[in-house]
Amino acid sequence: MERIPQRNARRRRRGPGARAHHASVAAAILAATLTGCSTLERSRDIGNPSVDGATLAVQVCSNCHGIDGNSTSPNFPRLAGQPERYIVVELSEFRSHERGDPAGFEYMWGLSRKLTDAQIAAIAAYFHRQTPQPNPAGPGREAAAGKAVLESGVPDTQVPACTTCHGEHAEGHDEYPRLAGQHADYLVKQLVVFQRTDQRPAGAVMKVIAHGLKPEQITAVADYLQGLTTN
Amino acid sequence: MSIRSRSPDGVVSRRPDSWRWLPLLLGIVAAVALVRPTGAVPAFNRQTGQNCVACHAGGQFPELTAYGRLFKLTGYTLGTRDVPLSVMGVAGYTRTDHTGGQDPSNFPKNGAATFQGGSVFVAGKVTDNIGAFVQITYDNYAQQNDQGQWVGHTSSDNMDFRYADRLIDAHRDLIFGATLNNNPTVQDPWNSTPAWSYPYVQSSFQVSPSTSGPLLAGDLAQQAAGAGGYLFWNRTLYAEVSLYRTANGFWSFMSQGTGNADQTKLKGANPYWRLALSHDWGAHSAMVGVFGLEARVYPDNDDPTGDTNRSHGIGVDAQYQYVLDPHAITVTASYIHEKTTWAPQLVDEEAVSNASDTLYQFKLKGSYVYGAHYGGSLTYFRVGGSADQALYGGGVDETGTPLGSPVTGNLAGAPKTDGIIGEVFWLPVQWVRIGAQYWAYKHFNGASTNYDGFGRNARDNNTLFVYVWGAY
Repeated sequence: MERIPQRNARRRRRGPGARAHHASVAAAILAATLTGCSTLERSRDIGNPSVDGATLAVQVCSNCHGIDGNSTSPNFPRLAGQPERYIVVELSEFRSHERGDPAGFEYMWGLSRKLTDAQIAAIAAYFHRQTPQPNPAGPGREAAAGKAVLESGVPDTQVPACTTCHGEHAEGHDEYPRLAGQHADYLVKQLVVFQRTDQRPAGAVMKVIAHGLKPEQITAVADYLQGLTTN
Repeated sequence: MSIRSRSPDGVVSRRPDSWRWLPLLLGIVAAVALVRPTGAVPAFNRQTGQNCVACHAGGQFPELTAYGRLFKLTGYTLGTRDVPLSVMGVAGYTRTDHTGGQDPSNFPKNGAATFQGGSVFVAGKVTDNIGAFVQITYDNYAQQNDQGQWVGHTSSDNMDFRYADRLIDAHRDLIFGATLNNNPTVQDPWNSTPAWSYPYVQSSFQVSPSTSGPLLAGDLAQQAAGAGGYLFWNRTLYAEVSLYRTANGFWSFMSQGTGNADQTKLKGANPYWRLALSHDWGAHSAMVGVFGLEARVYPDNDDPTGDTNRSHGIGVDAQYQYVLDPHAITVTASYIHEKTTWAPQLVDEEAVSNASDTLYQFKLKGSYVYGAHYGGSLTYFRVGGSADQALYGGGVDETGTPLGSPVTGNLAGAPKTDGIIGEVFWLPVQWVRIGAQYWAYKHFNGASTNYDGFGRNARDNNTLFVYVWGAY
């Protein structure tokens, strides 16, 4: 319903001069924008092989993973200090759709679909050289139990210590990811993925290991790892 | 095409048979009602290759996540160029609680399942710095002809053309850009400002109050053309200034389908401004902001000359969001206050009773989505302000008969309308939302009871709306 009473009246007509003026203004705006400073150094084009992977890391990846790889939201794993090889393997598996957990297909399949090997290598190198920042400890109170799983495993179910593969301080190496400082929520979800599915073939070795972990042990070790500071 | 979706416990299942839904859903769409939809753009999905949940909280389009806001502010340029086309259709079933004893023309299609129409989007990356969101909407029930038959109509809907750049390194993050759009706040990345605020879908067959709110709350949508600049610094401070003018002449492509007599005419350039502070921590994101519009509006759409109404609108808004799979919570709040000083001739002609009037709109909405499949929301809305008998058609004649009409009348001559909206919905796949929405009014057109002077109560206008909303 109109708030203002309407009245019939002649329509005010605009002359061609006014129209031409607007067209020239619009053309000027269009020309200014099209010739603007569009540079490969600040591109967000994930389908252009000419864009450096490091550029994509800061212009695209940083949106979720943080400019320094220390993501704020636990929805997105921390990449700072991750082994280069690990990031390369994961991005390659996203690209080929071999890694199919929710985080993979919802977010990463599309972003990685046209990345070149060189771009993937540059992204991996960028995040590897970032410094992991402390992450507040998880909400759990079973730090001792989590520490025990990390350092000693669960002998009753033949779960080896996480440190066996992920490094003495869970710092990661080669294809084994850094776990120290990682978001507990992400660790829990990935352990469940390993336990229940075959959606991460590169981490197939984790399937047997995760099978031997009870839910409370998964929570405890994830919480402990989130608060673990290792450089 | 194989579509993958997530079960509520977060484990993936393959759903190669999701297309089996399509004939059924199209059937429902073809069977159901009329709505005013807002946007969701699968063209953006194809551009980034990501699922809806990346940009929309719990997949509830058009509610943006922190990442979705960055996608928008960087000018829709993230990704790779793809076919920039999408289509959207919305259908529904509307039922007003009490229609007995009233002229049925007040409740068109009441209790009927009716197909609505939909939108075509041209949306996506143009260059590394330029992107666009353009919506063209076909309304299958736009108006009735002389024979009382409904006639469809196509018109410009929301449009937002952007230029954006981003300077980002370890020490700074500055997104800056320009926007050209046709609806104040359509360029805003938060869902607490009017253009993309709740309700995201609504029946057009609902009984409408005398006013839905201030000028800033949608009255200029698809009627004005605005250009401005914005910046987002360190994901913390957002600032924008734009100028709006009437979308006619060269800019009429932004208001196509709106008749001259229906188009609000602005005098010159009218400033819109916006400041917001945002902070992300953990899975949480919060924002508080202010925005405003100073507008000079010609009182006669057909004769944009002479004195104008001067509208001073200011809004405060806030948003809180928690997104951690499988949970997505979004709370939005906004309060917009407007003071309008009427053009002297309106006072002289007694088209308004007061020299100036105030009008406000308050909205508080909370929504929750589980596993990107099941969701619901609860909203309190309120419009209020100064009473103005002439403006809202209130009062009675010398015989004591109300000046307004049954159902649509406003005996008090007051804008007060408030109530609660409850909604539940289901997303069987990410491109389809099926929902039920219920509007419960406490006040309508200034009163709770006998608001029209003919004995109708606010609660009689309570409305159930069941809808199917699909996009591809």
